[in-house]
Amino acid sequence: MRAEDTRLQIGGTWIERADGWWLTVPAASVQEIAHTLLKAEARFVTMVAQSEPNHVLKLSWHWDMEGTLLSVVSFLDEGIAVPSIVDTYPGADWAERETRDYYAVTFEGRKDTPTLMLRDDDKPGRFLRTSGDSL
Amino acid sequence: MSYKIPIGPYHIALEEPYKIELECEGENVIGSSLKVGFNFRGIEWLAERKNITQSIALLERVCGICSNVHSMCFCMGLERIGNIEVPERGQHIRTVMAELERLHSHLLWAGVAAELIGFETLFMQIFRLRESVMDALESISGNRVNYSMNRIGGVNRDILDDTKIREVSQAIRTVTEGTLIPLLTTDQTVIARCKGVGVLTRLEAIAYGAVGPVARASGVDTDLRRDQPYLAYGKVEFVVPVQTSGDVLARVVVRALEIVESCKIIDQVLDRMPQGPIHAGDIYFVPEGNAVVRIEAPRGEVFYYLATNGSDTPLRVKVRTPSFANIPSVAAMVLRNTIADVPLIQAALDPCYSCTDR
Repeated sequence: MRAEDTRLQIGGTWIERADGWWLTVPAASVQEIAHTLLKAEARFVTMVAQSEPNHVLKLSWHWDMEGTLLSVVSFLDEGIAVPSIVDTYPGADWAERETRDYYAVTFEGRKDTPTLMLRDDDKPGRFLRTSGDSL
Repeated sequence: MSYKIPIGPYHIALEEPYKIELECEGENVIGSSLKVGFNFRGIEWLAERKNITQSIALLERVCGICSNVHSMCFCMGLERIGNIEVPERGQHIRTVMAELERLHSHLLWAGVAAELIGFETLFMQIFRLRESVMDALESISGNRVNYSMNRIGGVNRDILDDTKIREVSQAIRTVTEGTLIPLLTTDQTVIARCKGVGVLTRLEAIAYGAVGPVARASGVDTDLRRDQPYLAYGKVEFVVPVQTSGDVLARVVVRALEIVESCKIIDQVLDRMPQGPIHAGDIYFVPEGNAVVRIEAPRGEVFYYLATNGSDTPLRVKVRTPSFANIPSVAAMVLRNTIADVPLIQAALDPCYSCTDR
């Protein structure tokens, strides 16, 4: 019930799937959604980045509420910055740093975004597909 | 005046590469920073460049303890995308494997914790029990670590004789209920060493995204086996142990109680094991799609996101392990504790750096 109320509070068109509820939003609204979810005591699960054709990146943030998965998705051009939710969810720190390591995503609002899995001087974006490594 | 103590990446107190830098005032910890990635293997990257059959074997290598969980979660994700139904018997066998693996993991952790507490005899007794679980896993799969049990649409091997599994379950339940739990909850040495140490409050657990026994020891009543039943979990009865004190002792007690619940689940699943096929045939492709699968691994929730395009190679394989979710909460746990408590606090998390670094 709380998950349903929270979905209503966040608004938008949520789609029910076998794995949970999904909502597509502009990346700019993720911080506000994170605030609402923390108030409702939703647990941050992780974030996922995925390369789409034409240098578009699909980013999704996932929360758990009473066992129900709530997923928020944004599509953005590679290289566009997205707001950080670390101030709201400290548990998102590693997820954001890893996303920067693999997909070179810049997170706004953080003091810094050190590497997590890569070495300190490695170039971020290790998982981005190159022309010789097509989809 | 504060000073910093670096522990790791290679240190006698930590048997896996990981670094924690403690900021201290006297003996007290007032801050910390963590560093991982020393074992980075790029398993997600590799899985996106191998076919799905090869990736089953690859993902089983994410963790050396809960290896079965990873190949199972990967297969379940592909089964969800492809609408592939796993036969009932296959689901029951997967449940037995998952719970034996939980016993193996929890007993390994309990042994290590006993040694860290300074209780050598208990460590030996627990490891003797753990050995019997390894034997049971070997009797089913032929392997003691990487079991190779999972395939898309079911399992590779049947349970032909469950005698050994029942004996192991009974022995573990007897020792855990008769000795381990009373000892862990009443022994003054254990209580003095663990009570009030490394507290993670309920709200901290939620904000840090803690999962599994760590979250349940902090009062977060969560368990995917009950909340989103999968495999045969919806057909058996079990209790989800929850403690509220959030300290090392609570984490010890939650895991000990979970050992008993796992034995109960195994017994029930074996009792109601249906006849029939164990897999849905040879499957090498799944259609285009994407799906999230989460299952309750021994250390907590495992999260897999899979995307496919109809070929035999996945587009995206995202693996979020429970240790990746739990380790950052060490920063909150070590605050206001002494340096001498840090190894125990870290051990109580049951961290796996192999899982974390993938």
